[in-house]
Amino acid sequence: MRRFLFLRGAEALALALLAALPLAVHTPYALGLLTLLPIYGVLLIGLDVSVGYLGLINLGQVGFLGLGAYTAALLAIRLGWGLLASLAAASGAGLALGCLLALPALRLQGPPFALATLSFSALAATALNELEGLTGGARGLSFTHPACLGAALEPRAFFWLCLAVLALVWTAMRNLLAGHPGRAFEALRDSPIATDAMGVGSYRHKVAGFALGSALGSLAGGLYAFQFQHLQPQVFTHEFMAVLLLGVILGGRRSLWGALAGATVVVLLPNLLSVRPVFSVLAGAGLLASLVAGVRRLRRRTVDPFRALAPICATALLAAGALLARRTEDWRLAVFALILFAVVVGLPDGLMGFAARSLGGMLRVPPPPLPAPASLEQALPLRLPAPGAVLEVEELRRHFGGVKAVDGITFAIQDGAIHGLIGPNGSGKSTLVNVVSGLYPPSSGRVRLRGARANLPGLVAAARAGIARTFQNLELFGGLSVLDNVMVGLNSGFRQPLALTVAGLGEPGERRAQADALALLAFVGLEGQARERARDLPSGAQRFLELARALARRPSLLILDEPAAGLALPDVRRLIGMIRTIHQRGITVLLIEHHMDVVTELCHRVTVLDGGRLLAEGPPEAVKRDPRVLEAYLGLPGEPGNGEGTP
Amino acid sequence: MDILSFGQLVVSGAFMGLVYALIAYGFQLTYATSRTTNFGQGELVTASALVALSITHLGLPYGLMLPCGLGFGALAGLAMERTAVRIALQEKSEGWIMLTIIVGLFIHSTCENIWGQADRPFPTPIPSEAFQVLGIAITPLELSVALGALGVMGLIELFKRRTLLGKAVQAVAADPEAAGLMGISARRAVMLSYALSGMVAALAGILVAPITTVGPPMASGLVLKAFSVAVVAGLDSGFGAILVGMFLGGLENLTSFLVGSGWRETPGLALLILTLAVRPNGLFGRAAIRKV
Repeated sequence: MRRFLFLRGAEALALALLAALPLAVHTPYALGLLTLLPIYGVLLIGLDVSVGYLGLINLGQVGFLGLGAYTAALLAIRLGWGLLASLAAASGAGLALGCLLALPALRLQGPPFALATLSFSALAATALNELEGLTGGARGLSFTHPACLGAALEPRAFFWLCLAVLALVWTAMRNLLAGHPGRAFEALRDSPIATDAMGVGSYRHKVAGFALGSALGSLAGGLYAFQFQHLQPQVFTHEFMAVLLLGVILGGRRSLWGALAGATVVVLLPNLLSVRPVFSVLAGAGLLASLVAGVRRLRRRTVDPFRALAPICATALLAAGALLARRTEDWRLAVFALILFAVVVGLPDGLMGFAARSLGGMLRVPPPPLPAPASLEQALPLRLPAPGAVLEVEELRRHFGGVKAVDGITFAIQDGAIHGLIGPNGSGKSTLVNVVSGLYPPSSGRVRLRGARANLPGLVAAARAGIARTFQNLELFGGLSVLDNVMVGLNSGFRQPLALTVAGLGEPGERRAQADALALLAFVGLEGQARERARDLPSGAQRFLELARALARRPSLLILDEPAAGLALPDVRRLIGMIRTIHQRGITVLLIEHHMDVVTELCHRVTVLDGGRLLAEGPPEAVKRDPRVLEAYLGLPGEPGNGEGTP
Repeated sequence: MDILSFGQLVVSGAFMGLVYALIAYGFQLTYATSRTTNFGQGELVTASALVALSITHLGLPYGLMLPCGLGFGALAGLAMERTAVRIALQEKSEGWIMLTIIVGLFIHSTCENIWGQADRPFPTPIPSEAFQVLGIAITPLELSVALGALGVMGLIELFKRRTLLGKAVQAVAADPEAAGLMGISARRAVMLSYALSGMVAALAGILVAPITTVGPPMASGLVLKAFSVAVVAGLDSGFGAILVGMFLGGLENLTSFLVGSGWRETPGLALLILTLAVRPNGLFGRAAIRKV
């Protein structure tokens, strides 16, 4: 409760302060600047979705701003739409265009995506410039305010409208990020593959997130248009984009407060630059701050010297410029660049990230208490296996160029069984598992899960059909807490409809989901570490966390890829016990394992691969005595009876 | 439009397209070793051309100016690597590559303040009187662009394939960690690729400047098209870059003639987004396999 009051109190206080400011401000110029603050706030919150939460470089936001501005303005001028309707239409256009751009562009990561967004904003600028009949081209477009709900808005009322929009966007965004979408965003930055394997779908979340950010950009564009009542395509350029990036990064990525702080900087910066004394003082202060921080970092040797020295050099250049340059406005871009450089290198979390860390140290606000764990019966309901095979693999092949990693394998897994998959290194086990779980499409052949269509296309489809897996090389969401790792994949029907989450009514469902997730953590013995970051767990605990996360899917088939690798002996015993319990809950297990004793103890049937082909299949005792298996493992004709050997 | 003027537009566009291909090749060089793209490449092109221009004004002959300009480009590439790229590689996180945009902005602003915003002519000893081939006018200047671009790309490819150092660079491109275990420093290979890439950018600037004139605004237009070429061709195909570059150059000239000069940039940008939709790894690129 204290935490709730503290956080919400800060938000309400900031809102009240901002709302009261126009009463103290009398010049139209100052009110104009003040109105820009919520507009840029909305714009930067939108940009932060892709740059911060999705971890993408997005150079297209300025294009969405421009398109939104022109859409709203043209609807108001040509069709006589009201203010609110024009704004809604502008954000709708941004949403649609954002989807249209993201669907192709997000198929690639990194530089190509950034290039696609850069191209988009260049295309948008060209279109606004050249479609003269519609936009007036380079001459620009002038118009007057449309009415809002039938009434003309005076400038102060328009400010309050903008502030109301910001408050709405802020609240919706905060609720969204506190719920499942927020977790999904965090998860897909850490491991897109595991996000897909948990049935969450990194691609669709990225597209949705990008489209949402674009819609906010266009909404801000609409407000921008009605604020200035004059539009020119030349405004929406590369340079403006650099300023927006500056805002997000300087304010602090992945933070609503950061977006607001960034908006303040973006609004004030041009004015600060033109007043020489203010600029000099700020540059000097920046130099001093970076000197203090840099020297401290150098003495503690926490970072390599470059990162301590680079911000000092950048701010020193800035200070020198403030003293020497004839007109600081001419160097505007260089100033932005130097500030950005110093912040990105020296203060990667931005102003708000820094503030949050130092404030967090002083004001210890306890996190809300966790609910009591649910029972395992509730978190992992009993499944009744039906007779027959749950998974059938037929003549499956997967070739990589000339390498035949899986070369015509046919086998079936009985429902409710623990099925072992063994074979020497390079025998095709991992490739087989990757094809079955949907990561690779098969070159030929069929994989059929009971109740689903053959050859499920991709990890997400396979996960949703009931396959859950762990990874040999751990794929945890390192930045998320242990509890959230399990909650990402949780498939227990407590997922709230998106509208409820946005409206802030997702809490009860969230609590029940937490209880279920805690039950699974208790099952693997990690309930005490629920709040720790997954990255900080020892590697054995991380393996158990992957197991709990996979169970959260309530799968019909659980694939364990070398779960005992690197575990200490007592942990291996615990793992065996857990797999037994999982089996008793009616879940079919496919176990890939090198520890022969684990396989012998647990498995009902074992399939042996060698060179991408099926070598033997049968009960573990029989397979262990099979001369072909012994030859594959030991390289010599086997001596029957050598059952002790652990290949 | 008759067939001859159609041919004329396509041919002179294709010569221009070789410049895009050359800059795109610069992207590919660094992408191969480090999976990073220098978003400030356009600024390197302009800055090198402007430095070369100032050297010419000092009275040095073309033959001396060229190595000086290329040397400046290589140094600028190295500086870019040190200030912007190395942190991105250390952090193994893509967001940091934004630093190259930032350094590019700084270079852009500095150029604006030193050389002014206006475009300037670039003197060259190569004559610009056209001669006719099958009724299509070609200038020696255009030929010099083609020779220079293809020549330097060929030389770098030879270096990569025939020398030990070049093979070391390719080893890093294939697998930096394995190369490291074999005693090849991935960091040096990345530095080398950035120096080469900066040199290629400088050459592109010096070759194209006599045709287009040179000034700070030149960067963004050129670099966007070069980006398009690199992505459409695939970030690992130098040969593809040449083909796509020439195609795009021709297409651009046609668009500008048929639709209007303001739309000149659009085919490249549209082509880029279209390629991402249909063949995300580029027309000549190879798909990478996700491993777990």
